[in-house]
Amino acid sequence: MHKLLQSNFGRLVFFIFLGFIIFLAGNRVDELRVYQGATLAMFVVAISSIILLTGYSGQVSLGHGALLAIGGYSAVLARNYWTLPIWICFAIAVLVAAAAGAVLGTAAARLSGPYLAGTTLALAVGLPSIANQFSFLGGEQGLLFDVGAPPVSLGADFSPYKWYFWIAASAALIALWWLQNILRSRYGRTWRAVRGNEIAAQLAGIHSGKAKTLAFTVSSGLAGLAGALLAMTIGTVSPSAFPLTLSFSLLTGAVLSGVTTLPGVMIGAVTLVATPEISHAISNRIGGSDGVTTNLPGLLVSALLILVVMLVPNGPVEQMRSMRVRKNASISR
Amino acid sequence: MFTFFDTIIIGLTSGAVYSLMAISLVLVWRSTRVINFAQAGQALLSTYIGFSFIGRFNSYWVALFIAIILGAGVSALIEIIFMRTLFKRNTGPIAGVAPIIATLGLLGLIHGLIGIFMGGKEAIIRPPVSNVGYTFSGHTLAFSPLKLVIVSAVLFLMISLSILFTKTNIGLALRASAYAPEIARLAGVKVDGIRTLGWALAGAAGAAAGMLQTPNGTGALSPDSLEFSLLLVFGFIAAVIGGLESLVGAVIGGLLLGLVLAFVIMYVSATLPFMTAFVLLLGVLLVRPQGIMGKKVGRRA
Amino acid sequence: MIGTYRRKLLIASAVLATGSLALTAIPAQAFSVRNEIGVTSTSIKLGITLPMTGAASPGYNKIPGAMKAYFDYVNASGGVNGRKISLVVKDDAYTPTASVQATNELILKDKVFAVVGALGTANNKAVAALVNPGRRGIPDLFVNTGFSGFAVKKSYPTTFSLFPSYVMEAKILSMYIKDKFPGKKLALLYQADDFGRDALAGFKTGGLTFDTYIPYAPLSQATPTVPPTWISKLQAAGSEVVVLFGVSSATAAALGAAYAKSYRPQWILGSVGGDATAIKLAGVPAPLFTGVQTASFLPAPADTTDEYVKLFQTINTKYNPGVTFDNNILAGMNTAFVTVQAIAAAGKNLTRKALIAAIETKGSTFASAGLTPMAPTATTHAGYNGYWFGTYDGTATLKPNDGVYTVYTTDSASGAVVKSTYKRPDMPLNGLPTSK
Repeated sequence: MHKLLQSNFGRLVFFIFLGFIIFLAGNRVDELRVYQGATLAMFVVAISSIILLTGYSGQVSLGHGALLAIGGYSAVLARNYWTLPIWICFAIAVLVAAAAGAVLGTAAARLSGPYLAGTTLALAVGLPSIANQFSFLGGEQGLLFDVGAPPVSLGADFSPYKWYFWIAASAALIALWWLQNILRSRYGRTWRAVRGNEIAAQLAGIHSGKAKTLAFTVSSGLAGLAGALLAMTIGTVSPSAFPLTLSFSLLTGAVLSGVTTLPGVMIGAVTLVATPEISHAISNRIGGSDGVTTNLPGLLVSALLILVVMLVPNGPVEQMRSMRVRKNASISR
Repeated sequence: MFTFFDTIIIGLTSGAVYSLMAISLVLVWRSTRVINFAQAGQALLSTYIGFSFIGRFNSYWVALFIAIILGAGVSALIEIIFMRTLFKRNTGPIAGVAPIIATLGLLGLIHGLIGIFMGGKEAIIRPPVSNVGYTFSGHTLAFSPLKLVIVSAVLFLMISLSILFTKTNIGLALRASAYAPEIARLAGVKVDGIRTLGWALAGAAGAAAGMLQTPNGTGALSPDSLEFSLLLVFGFIAAVIGGLESLVGAVIGGLLLGLVLAFVIMYVSATLPFMTAFVLLLGVLLVRPQGIMGKKVGRRA
Repeated sequence: MIGTYRRKLLIASAVLATGSLALTAIPAQAFSVRNEIGVTSTSIKLGITLPMTGAASPGYNKIPGAMKAYFDYVNASGGVNGRKISLVVKDDAYTPTASVQATNELILKDKVFAVVGALGTANNKAVAALVNPGRRGIPDLFVNTGFSGFAVKKSYPTTFSLFPSYVMEAKILSMYIKDKFPGKKLALLYQADDFGRDALAGFKTGGLTFDTYIPYAPLSQATPTVPPTWISKLQAAGSEVVVLFGVSSATAAALGAAYAKSYRPQWILGSVGGDATAIKLAGVPAPLFTGVQTASFLPAPADTTDEYVKLFQTINTKYNPGVTFDNNILAGMNTAFVTVQAIAAAGKNLTRKALIAAIETKGSTFASAGLTPMAPTATTHAGYNGYWFGTYDGTATLKPNDGVYTVYTTDSASGAVVKSTYKRPDMPLNGLPTSK
């Protein structure tokens, strides 16, 4: 199995196999779970975008929601104005967001940690208000996004949610597969070198500014895809769909996943999707007041976030790995 | 003509509020190299504490004093309980991001707790001095005794903290602990204690910001108060514009942000404040990536 | 070694994830054929989504409590046709993403009979587009928004409006201002989004132009630079009558900033931002209200001579203790009241179809606290269609102008504004609607 994953072909086979499992799972669960599955896939793409940026190239974005918004609006506009096939709309979302990311990344490469954090934060606060400036963006109510009914060949009672799930899951699988490949390529090594020690990397002949800009661009492209998926799973785009809290929860998801390891990405996504349900169950059990019920989800996520940062800062996956490595080392000794 | 003066006064007085928040962010940054996003939550908590003491002592000023002291205490506790562990455990790639994320988590935690315990309770802080503007040849100016208090507080904090940082041993220790903790430790500086002091000062400044801005705004206090989130965002933008390293920079950043916002709203459009803040920040950083008062030799966080 | 270990973890986490997805499968529940989803012979389950947390929540988060209080009151009197009503409340923090998720849960997991009072224009649009209660035949009753589009049956087959639209409000305001303040310098301060733009369209239809327009970015009222600048702008333009179309936090910010500048125009507040309790909660002391005018379609919440207000206050004290009675409580209870009225009208054999048919055919005769008629028909799902004007006194109590509720009605299109002769039907005995 390990050997299988070493080669490009092997990874392709693995991801196709994974897709098959997800397909089977999607047929076994009820409509609500299928819908949550689509949301999950969206979060997977968005979180891996952050992991790529922060974990692999060492840059911080507090405003990823803004890049999701760019992707979401691009896809919707392409669909509504030119009625393009849905996959082309998704591709446009990726390209437009990547272009925006390239511009932003050029500025970002000049900025060190907190300055970049500040810029991205201001972007997340400032960008959504543009939708109210130009009427073709639909204002506060936003624009409708109709990805179209599932193909007739799938049967008349094929639920739209399952259709969204298929689209989102395939998009997430393709994105992850592609990301795995790029991280194992020269670019991936360059980013890790820059993240590890920027000055040393520069000495080794790496243009750190370029590397960072590229990482920002790729990450933005993924964020754009996530934005288009988000738009699909809520059927609209509007400024209020991309609040600052979205940017923060993506960051939360990335930290819970382990910000330096892509394989953990599911952990963060599952946590984000499951938290409201879990906290609902808890507050039902303890019979809390309205104040408890409504504040519990935020409280749970925050507490979890602090615990993870304090106890397993590099994420559960990385923690397990380093424990295993240590154990192996002691055995071989 | 009066409109023009009004705009300048509004810009400067509202800018002073951003400066207060920026000062507290700069203090934490200078002492521990952390952007403290929990500052908004801490300020909200301190203001709630102040509010409850207004009721008890029937005096805004006593309550302000208590809020500042307890705000400093809470901030110091956060540093001791969370930040120390965080710094000890964090190495590698996460080190740059972990503090930001931890403070975001703290913000959510404080927010949730205030929501559970204080949500749905009415809380209004009335201005301790008149907030009706002074009159000048028949016009009411946008400058009132309350604004005078706020501007004075900003100037007092900036000057006294600058003296503390540049002229005293504590200030030297504060700087040394932030820039080169190991060397400071070798030189006999109690680095941990000094860092905690930096946080405490920031907590005090944040408490002052919350207690002063609440009556300066509408006076209402709620766990979901947007005022505090925006105060954090605008304070942060002010601090970054100013250069994060410098207290004077924080004040200049705040005033500049206030002025630009006021002029854009007055003469261009009231729909633009958020975009304006972003464009201003981007503009300043494109010209000076280290902020207005920041040092050229960028330290990577 | 490290590399292969990562691969292994990737596989493990992927398998774990797909597995957990499959494990969470809930077996399809067998439904009894006789009963509609969410209805048994002794119970009816309803659901609502609205902001219970976040910046948009203050005020609105009191609505579910008010609705539950009224349902509890009805349940204590035996329920509707022997069925007791329960309400499942879901927080969406005002984000459409969460609204869609929450409505999905209401429909697929909680299996509610109908959604009642879902709040927010963008939120309801997202829900309509994606969850599509229309296609599923699920009643989406009395949505809490003034967007006129939700009344169009063709686009939203099972959605019903309750509140008059912003367009109606602006048209009626136009008539009122032209009548009462001729020749004055007029200004409009409005939220620069569809809420404000809907109003702009209404003022245009109503033929009213302002001397000064100040659109402001939503939420920007919470920053210290913004409200004082509005006031300076209004003063510089010499505005004598200022119409404010914004939320109550903007009203509070504007009134406070005007006070600080000794600026006293005639304020006229749109109904959304005109609730005294919310404005007072946002920090404005009662004396500042003196002379401020506003429009409403429900009776004034302090008007205890009104039989509905009186009853709702009693219910609030008993079933919702410790919560101050205000416009939100009044509106919440009224929504619950109209819902009970609709369910009663749908008859003993309660189905979703019967409920929708009942509102379409009998809705215009429903009893409710509203002082203007309701206008649902088989083709238009409109709610109330009019407003009356009132003035606040120094204790922040809203009194109808000249002591009587003078109601004006219109529509969301180009129809004229007319003085209504509508007489509200008497309240059913004890405020308990029966099937007629």
